[in-house]
Amino acid sequence: MRGLVWALVATTFVAQAALAEDENPADQSVARKDRGEQLGAERTAHTETRLDDSSEKRASLETAVYADSDNVTVFTPSLAASITNVLQGASLRGQYVVDVVSAASADVVSTASPRWTEVRHAGSLEATYKPRTFGITLAGSLSSEPDYFSFGVGTEMTLDLNEKNTTLEAGFGFGHDDVGRCGAESSAAATPNNCTSFGVFSRVVNRTSFNLGITQILGKATTGVLVADIGLESGDQSKPYRYVPMFSSDVAASAPNGASFAWVTANRLPERPLEQTPLSKRRVAVTGRLAHRFEGSTLRLEERVYGDTWALFASTTDARWIIDLGKRVALWPHARFHGQSAVSFWKRAYVSGAAPGWDLPVFRTGDRELGPLWTVTGGGGLYFYLGGASDPQKARLSVQVDGMYTSFLDDLYISSRSGLISSLTLEVEL
Amino acid sequence: MTKILFAAVLFALTASLGACTHVAPYERGKLAHPTMTDAIGDGPAAEHVYAVHEGAVGGGSVAESGCGCN
Repeated sequence: MRGLVWALVATTFVAQAALAEDENPADQSVARKDRGEQLGAERTAHTETRLDDSSEKRASLETAVYADSDNVTVFTPSLAASITNVLQGASLRGQYVVDVVSAASADVVSTASPRWTEVRHAGSLEATYKPRTFGITLAGSLSSEPDYFSFGVGTEMTLDLNEKNTTLEAGFGFGHDDVGRCGAESSAAATPNNCTSFGVFSRVVNRTSFNLGITQILGKATTGVLVADIGLESGDQSKPYRYVPMFSSDVAASAPNGASFAWVTANRLPERPLEQTPLSKRRVAVTGRLAHRFEGSTLRLEERVYGDTWALFASTTDARWIIDLGKRVALWPHARFHGQSAVSFWKRAYVSGAAPGWDLPVFRTGDRELGPLWTVTGGGGLYFYLGGASDPQKARLSVQVDGMYTSFLDDLYISSRSGLISSLTLEVEL
Repeated sequence: MTKILFAAVLFALTASLGACTHVAPYERGKLAHPTMTDAIGDGPAAEHVYAVHEGAVGGGSVAESGCGCN
């Protein structure tokens, strides 16, 4: 009798597991993991001398292109890989990104020459150890281009509470930037690519950041994340190439939004000083994320509010709805809206006095990302799951295309910008 | 401004904790779906474009290097 009961229980369990596999890919992965652990245990029992590899290895390759109406084109290939030992709670992740920027823009001023191409290399490495409920992550990153070198280090701690219904996180990061200059006149100090050596000219910007966050399971299909970031930045962030046109007070008052290059040239005063921004900034950002899994789709929402001591306030809203179209394809529409106010020293047209004193404004900028603007982004993408029949999501190809439109509300030269960013990504579990 | 933001965080935190229910590990099949993880979203290129084009940062990793956008 007892044997019959056990047989019934076992049959029911197997049937439920089979049903679960058909219904939910997530359950499939859980079931797979259980089977993997069982098989691992069996192997250990039968062959004591052979170690079982319980690690998960993933690699991804992305190629992205950005182009906009302001004559900026960016080609960005990137490579990422990770290895995770599920049983021991250790993981290692790395990423390498290359940006090839080509621009002939009145807006982006990145070298002293009018048309330029520049290559940026960036890499990051992150190691996490989380054997039980407490975890610690150490991370580092590097970014290098001819006139800019930057590195960052950071650590983050996480603590699971209440059967992992709640996870607290706290992090600290430090970043150091050396801002140089390229395209200046030839001199003994210039490097082969016509850049001034960092030893001869560079500005240092240091950034310190703290964050506190909480991830909370809000229901059987809903999670929420809330993160607060505080950042302290010190150093001269002024662009060493950006010259700011000056006007007499009556001309400045009549400067139209998006005034053309010809209008500015015809009406500005002779002096054209370099940009100068304040030497320190404190910033706060609060980001909330919500993810909800419906029967056949996932909705992901994000909202970030931001404020800093330069008086720039911003709100960024991002929404993505990933809809399953069978086991092999998923489709997502994506929308994003960003709106911001101007920094306190922002002027469409700055006023200065006459030579020789000029009486220049202490702070002046032509960086339109410090001015009032809004950007709307819309697009979408497709996932193609390329894995085997038992696990289609083991390999994934994704295509994403987004269009962006920015309205500059109080600027010289341009009043709007349209852009397109597209990417092709292949992710594989090895 | 900072006080307002912290008040907003505390309010949201309190509201979210009050709204949530305890979910046992065996009830998390939907939560474990791959599209529920943070790995889903924009790639490094799109993130960099947003970082350069928006005058606001935050919500990302603690060890980010500079944007290199001088």
